[in-house]
Amino acid sequence: MKIELKRSRLEVRLDYKKLKLAWTIEPRYWRNPLLAWLALCALPLLSLMGGLQWLSIFTTANLCATIALPLLLQIIGTGRVNLGPQLFVALGGYTAGLLSINYKMEALQTLPIVIVVALLVGLSLSLLTILARGIYFSLITLIIPLVFMEITFVFSDVFKGETGIYGITPLFRLGSHLINSIAYYYASLMILTLYLFLVDKILRSRWGMVYAAINNDEDVAMMMGVDINRHKIFVFTVTSVLTAIAGWFFAHYFGTFAGVTYLPFTFMIKILFIVLIGGRAQAYGTIAGAYFVSILDELLRSYLGNISHFVFPSILLVLLVALPEGLWGIYRKHKYREIYPTIRIRR
Amino acid sequence: MKVQEMALLNVQGVTKRFGGLVALNNVELSIKEGEIVGLIGPNGAGKTTLFNIICGFYKPDAGKVEFDGRNITGMKPYEICKLGISRTFQIPRPFPDLTAIYNVALAVMYGKDRANMSLGDALLDAAHYLEFVGLLRKRDVLARDLTPFELRLLELARALATTPKLLLIDETMAGLNPVECERALELINRARDEFKLTICWIEHVMRIIMKAAERVVVLHYGMKIAEGAPEEVARDVKVIEAYLGERRARG
Repeated sequence: MKIELKRSRLEVRLDYKKLKLAWTIEPRYWRNPLLAWLALCALPLLSLMGGLQWLSIFTTANLCATIALPLLLQIIGTGRVNLGPQLFVALGGYTAGLLSINYKMEALQTLPIVIVVALLVGLSLSLLTILARGIYFSLITLIIPLVFMEITFVFSDVFKGETGIYGITPLFRLGSHLINSIAYYYASLMILTLYLFLVDKILRSRWGMVYAAINNDEDVAMMMGVDINRHKIFVFTVTSVLTAIAGWFFAHYFGTFAGVTYLPFTFMIKILFIVLIGGRAQAYGTIAGAYFVSILDELLRSYLGNISHFVFPSILLVLLVALPEGLWGIYRKHKYREIYPTIRIRR
Repeated sequence: MKVQEMALLNVQGVTKRFGGLVALNNVELSIKEGEIVGLIGPNGAGKTTLFNIICGFYKPDAGKVEFDGRNITGMKPYEICKLGISRTFQIPRPFPDLTAIYNVALAVMYGKDRANMSLGDALLDAAHYLEFVGLLRKRDVLARDLTPFELRLLELARALATTPKLLLIDETMAGLNPVECERALELINRARDEFKLTICWIEHVMRIIMKAAERVVVLHYGMKIAEGAPEEVARDVKVIEAYLGERRARG
């Protein structure tokens, strides 16, 4: 293995018998995703010095990004702003929690059932992408999670209303608290990497081209021969399942699950800000956005106390105006040859 | 009967109402293979509505549309596109967040059933169409950064990329200067020869349509009032009346 510096690029060469691999890393762009990913892998070291509460904040940031990533794929692919992906977070969490409590199921046993439930609900709700457009779609998807929250209150003998379900079997039981936290961090990072890979691949493929077209103008896309309804149903259903898996992780990570935490609009605002601050539907930017929002939230809360409740959103609002292309826009090359879908909804 | 068989597109008694407004009233239109048919009429005559019905974007209230011997009334727009009808828009409607070449590649890939085509092949094909309209060096420019004339060219490239048999052109010349008009006309003629197209063309610039079209159909208030060779139609009393008013027609 040879590492050489060529024209400010690092070139890694591996010659092993017949196998010849060359791999170029461009460190001059420190936005290089791989380096950022390695930095994320090294984060638990930092928490060994700083304290465990930071590790749980980073885990939550990872999970927020796993909700935001499918959301951005969905917003691009259906051309509609969904204001209620938290419905599927709650759906995944409650399914996992109820199964785990009532039938003593392990975390990995509940996962397939969560996927099936989310698939069915997502498939039936995906009709909304055909029936409603623009602000009507947003309003309907905004109301459905709130209806679900009311249901958790009305049938509180099942859903345990405000207190939430507790005593859910944890995903990892590795003895010490420290090792558990590190395991949860890496598990969430693994899901995040998987989602990032998936979303990025889809957006670069021919489907990504179609989704960008649907996002821009679905009538024209239809007249160019694209079966838009099939694409919209597919995107909505798949992203719903991906979101529900994040809910499943929440349930088995905290050991408790209460709809009151996730279903109100405040949680959704955070996710929406992550998508927007990260870079108007740029997959890599979303992760930067998730860490930025989570860390900012925590810092403000610990230093400013109660004032942070309005300082935090106002900082984000200023950033929304000041950074029209989000955090990702700062580092993006200014000559783009790729599909470059942003959130742009007609009517 | 022979003429009926020859016709590529057959619009029979199509009626379309928007609430109380009758946009199209019992319109008949027949286009033979290889023809250029001009479709003219004053504003609001129902020309674009007729295009939308042929494309499948609107469903007619009565009547039927036949293409290539098949009844395509009530079919979905993407199915009709795959059969070989393609259109451009009056106001260019590109996908603004895609580069020019991706705009065309989408049409290449989905304009016909090409399930196994890779994105690379589609881009290669798209480059061919872009070169045909003379837009190849703008391939990596986002569509929202193109000038109005380039947008018209992009629309044409995108329409050609679906490999249509029948091309519906909706006012390509609107907002272009005379030099650009000549270039567009020359381009459309070249496209017709190269891709063996049948063209139905809505146009307001009379000079161009009289030069280009072999047959002209005139719509007025959703009804067909005249049909025939351009010179005949230009002399038709009903047509002059529709365009310039009753007094001029008598004088």
